[in-house]
Amino acid sequence: MIFVKNLHKTFGKLEVLKGINCHIREKEVVVVIGPSGSGKSTFLRCLNKLEEPTKGEIIVDGIPLNSEVNVNAIRREVGMVFQRFNLFPHMTAIQNIVLAPEVVRKTNKEEARKIGMELLAKVGLYEKADEYPDRLSGGQQQRVAIARALAMKPKIMLFDETTSALDPEMVGEVLSVMKDLAREGMTMVVVTHEMGFAREVGDRVIFMDEGIIMEEGEPNEVFAHPKNPRTQAFLSKIL
Amino acid sequence: MGLNWHVVIDNMPILAKGALLTLELTAGAVAIGVVIGLFMALARLSKRKMVRAAAIGYIDFFRGTPLLVQIFLVYFGIPMLLQWQTMPDNYQYTAGILAMGLNSGAYIAEIFRAGIQSIDRGQTEAARSLGMTQIQALRYIILPQAFKRSIPPLGNEFIALLKDSSLLSIIAIQELFYTGKIIVGRTYQPLPMYLAVALYYLVMTQLIAQWVAYMERRLGKNDIR
Repeated sequence: MIFVKNLHKTFGKLEVLKGINCHIREKEVVVVIGPSGSGKSTFLRCLNKLEEPTKGEIIVDGIPLNSEVNVNAIRREVGMVFQRFNLFPHMTAIQNIVLAPEVVRKTNKEEARKIGMELLAKVGLYEKADEYPDRLSGGQQQRVAIARALAMKPKIMLFDETTSALDPEMVGEVLSVMKDLAREGMTMVVVTHEMGFAREVGDRVIFMDEGIIMEEGEPNEVFAHPKNPRTQAFLSKIL
Repeated sequence: MGLNWHVVIDNMPILAKGALLTLELTAGAVAIGVVIGLFMALARLSKRKMVRAAAIGYIDFFRGTPLLVQIFLVYFGIPMLLQWQTMPDNYQYTAGILAMGLNSGAYIAEIFRAGIQSIDRGQTEAARSLGMTQIQALRYIILPQAFKRSIPPLGNEFIALLKDSSLLSIIAIQELFYTGKIIVGRTYQPLPMYLAVALYYLVMTQLIAQWVAYMERRLGKNDIR
């Protein structure tokens, strides 16, 4: 579903990604872990071209990521959820959700609203439809953000440290929405520090450090018997 | 020669007529200025170097030269460029509004630019990640928020513009200040008359300030923190 070949990304003189190769299959949940500054978020943001790769090839759902036309086509199929939610503050929860289906997919208003309300129900916020984001808690905002991404009916969802900006008591509600999605067979790439989540729902875990993939494998295997010394060092610090 | 306050009372209606024209000229200039300002702000932020340079040139010129000179440039320049033999009736109004609009466009461009740049980059990223084009992201996400934040400085600009419209008296537009000057010439009562003129300006600028404060309250309700 996603092919990444020899992906490089440089910011000025700093080389953040130094040749990433990977293949993410349909319905797979891939969890990307690693120390901060290891390039995990940059890697994720290259997958829908929020960052322009310096070198390399990315093919998403059969579409090569190279022209502006393709970028918008791919972004319609790839949902993204951000660390800091990025809800649109001048719109209510439901307006946040229906906007892209209406203006990008040209879904009619009633249909978009119907889908939007179903999604709000799915993330447990049906009764918050008409609230503005600043009236919602962090966890609620992030669940609206997930519903907003899902409203485009994406084939792939990218999660960029979606629980890192949350108060501890709100992490669970967001993770549980993500777990439901994984169970329904969504293809997911998740950058996270939640090792419990990685273990429970990850089909594969990728450990990144210094801009390359140091180790990857089945989560229980990687967590229990890390082969790379860097992985061992990282896991010993956080587990 | 004693002070005669009666001239003020007697000439209230004529001054009011001048004040109304001042408001109309300002409104016309604001309308032109907001449109020019929006396009110049977007051009100023364009990825294309030439477009950006053109916007910077425009803004620098109109902020860096006196409005009075700009008024003359437009008023005398257009007839020369178009090689008119005579000036059409009421041409001074068109020229006056245009000159003020061109001028305020430069200031409003900078106000909108600051507003647009103050919006968190995550907003654009969220919009683009949902498949919106750059134009859709601007229209639905960035500009509505940027506009809201631009209201207070826009209010200042409208007030400055209203006061500067007194410069149009130089091309014989009978706005508030010009009207006052005429009456002074007739009555020899500069102190009462110019105080009255000042009072009229003050009332109008206060009204704008109140209106801006009201808009800010009304639109600001759902702004982020």
